[in-house]
Amino acid sequence: MIGLTHYLILAALLFSIGLLGAIAKRNAISVFMGIELMLNSVNINFVAFNHFLHPQFLAGQAFAIFVIVVAAAEVSVGLAIILALYRRRANTGVDELDLLKW
Amino acid sequence: MAKEFGTLFLFLAGGFVLSLVIVFVNWLLRPRNPSSAKARTYECGLETEGPTWVQFKISYYLYALIFVVFDVEVVFLYPWASSFKSAGLVPFVEMAIFIGVLALGIWFAWKKGAFEWN
Amino acid sequence: MDFSTLTLEIGAAALALILLVVGLFLPDGKKGQVGIVAALGFAFLLVLSFLAPGSKGPFFMGQYMNDGISVLFKQIFILGSLLVTLMSLRFTRRFEDARGEFYVLLAFSLVGMMGMAGATDFLTLYIALELMSIPLVVLTAFEKGSMRSTEAGMKYVLLGAMSSAILLFGLSFLYGAAGSFGYGAVMAALTGGQTGPLVVIGGIFALAGLAFKVAAVPFHMWSPDIYEGAPVPVTAFLAVASKAAGFAALLRFFPVVLVPLGLGMTTLIVLIAALSMVLGNLTAIPQTNIKRMLAWSSIAHAGYMLLGVMVASFAGAAALVYYLLVYLFANVGAFAAVTAWSELSGSDEISSFKGMWKKSPLISTVFIVSLLSLAGIPPAAGFIGKFFLFVEVAHKGYLWLVALALVMSVVSLYYYVSVIKTLVSEAPEGETSKADIPLALRAVMLVSAVSTVVLGVLPGPVMGYIRNILSTLSS
Repeated sequence: MIGLTHYLILAALLFSIGLLGAIAKRNAISVFMGIELMLNSVNINFVAFNHFLHPQFLAGQAFAIFVIVVAAAEVSVGLAIILALYRRRANTGVDELDLLKW
Repeated sequence: MAKEFGTLFLFLAGGFVLSLVIVFVNWLLRPRNPSSAKARTYECGLETEGPTWVQFKISYYLYALIFVVFDVEVVFLYPWASSFKSAGLVPFVEMAIFIGVLALGIWFAWKKGAFEWN
Repeated sequence: MDFSTLTLEIGAAALALILLVVGLFLPDGKKGQVGIVAALGFAFLLVLSFLAPGSKGPFFMGQYMNDGISVLFKQIFILGSLLVTLMSLRFTRRFEDARGEFYVLLAFSLVGMMGMAGATDFLTLYIALELMSIPLVVLTAFEKGSMRSTEAGMKYVLLGAMSSAILLFGLSFLYGAAGSFGYGAVMAALTGGQTGPLVVIGGIFALAGLAFKVAAVPFHMWSPDIYEGAPVPVTAFLAVASKAAGFAALLRFFPVVLVPLGLGMTTLIVLIAALSMVLGNLTAIPQTNIKRMLAWSSIAHAGYMLLGVMVASFAGAAALVYYLLVYLFANVGAFAAVTAWSELSGSDEISSFKGMWKKSPLISTVFIVSLLSLAGIPPAAGFIGKFFLFVEVAHKGYLWLVALALVMSVVSLYYYVSVIKTLVSEAPEGETSKADIPLALRAVMLVSAVSTVVLGVLPGPVMGYIRNILSTLSS
């Protein structure tokens, strides 16, 4: 039987994969994908907790919707900045944005 | 539970086998006369013009970015619409303000020339 | 519903939208006037915040709170926005037709900050946080011609999104353990039962996310790069207002995890604060770029201010607010001086400050006062701010922490004074053009220098006002 634990493990795995992607990838777009994975793992957490532990209100699901919307806004700002970078160095691909070292 | 998933598995396996059978029967029955025209790539029935890995115009991305933002904002309309009748006046006014702000955003993008094609 | 609770928030949001429309109607050459409208609007909001701070109490079914803490923080944010706007009136010329949006984004970010000060619910906190950060990202990358600005924006958006994800991951566990998003309900639900690993993980992740926003070690790595790359007024705004907003959120959020987790959380905050003080001050010493140096110094200051959060008391909150105010004037003064000087000399390297005293005594005086305040030398306000803060920490019994903070303040004296030494030293031979400082920038510099001195010499009235507001509007 699939229970809360399964969802939590799935979310934790997704979060870790996303974090790894965000830290290890050099390509800015891949980093964004990693961050999206992290945010979606959070959504899984919210919806799973909502469904299994606190089904009386849909608060967790509402939170997930907000996370999706805000993430979209964040990513479009990020993509716009990637475009600006790309325009400045017109001859390089996005995969060569290796100035991002931290 | 196991029984339900078993049925699902049977369907999956059946679908997989069926598609293999179709490919195999086609291979068995088809006439074999290859020609150079058949080996060429084609695009919507036409021959391709120039290299296929071209850069898209940057304006596409502007459209896409604006589209994504407005597309996702619509998510909020669904829960509102599904409880529209019971919700009353206050949520209606709130949603009107929300859409008003979005409309202001569109107007801003328009005035800034984000929808111009040049 | 009593919408007068939200007077200031509605005012700021309306101002942002009005600025957007005004910017669209102005002809291309005159977009700079948006800045004047913005300054007037912020000034109006500041007056409004004293006359009608909005009725006290919870709002939106407890998702939002207007009390003493939020009113004081809102005043700090509005003041910061006003000073940064005035400071950037001439500076934004370089943005040409995008000048208007600069102020629109400032105003939207202000709305987000106000939300952070008032948020008493995970959802409100998250939305407000993002409403603050997303415009800040755009502002950081605003200088389209400069590669550094764009790259700073890139780093900010990536690291900011990552930190939000970490914060959210923590919040999702707290929600799972408590079944609610409201601070009060979460506290009530977690206090009774034993605290499982869910709450511990949730609390640590959420604190890490917020520690990122205030740039405390070990979540500080973004701030030097971004402070250096961003346009100077934006750096000032980041250092002052967005940091204050982070502390507002922390001040409200910390008790939520403090109550169920107790001493462990206090130890964690103490550790972060101590690390920030040590690393921030030591790394500031070898910096050659003034923005980078101020970034490291702001990390160190985040360490001091975290002590105020750690105290978690009424007096601690009052001391923190006072410190933030002092820090605001000192930083705005320093960054205004950097703005004026970099318009003059075209450089923000510390080595270019040689001969500043000869060229412009005004810039130099403001700079020196601000740096002394940051270092905590008596006539300037930094001393009294630190005094209030450390007294509260000592009351709490963390004497070793006070000793560490004092030692680190002495260390910080070294790099602040070496900047002062550079700017009074003789100029290398060269042309001596007279300084041409725009009126608004001059006003900002004078106001922050004078306020720094006044806050240092006469702390009574302001501290009295802070305590008064905290106690009359507190819940």
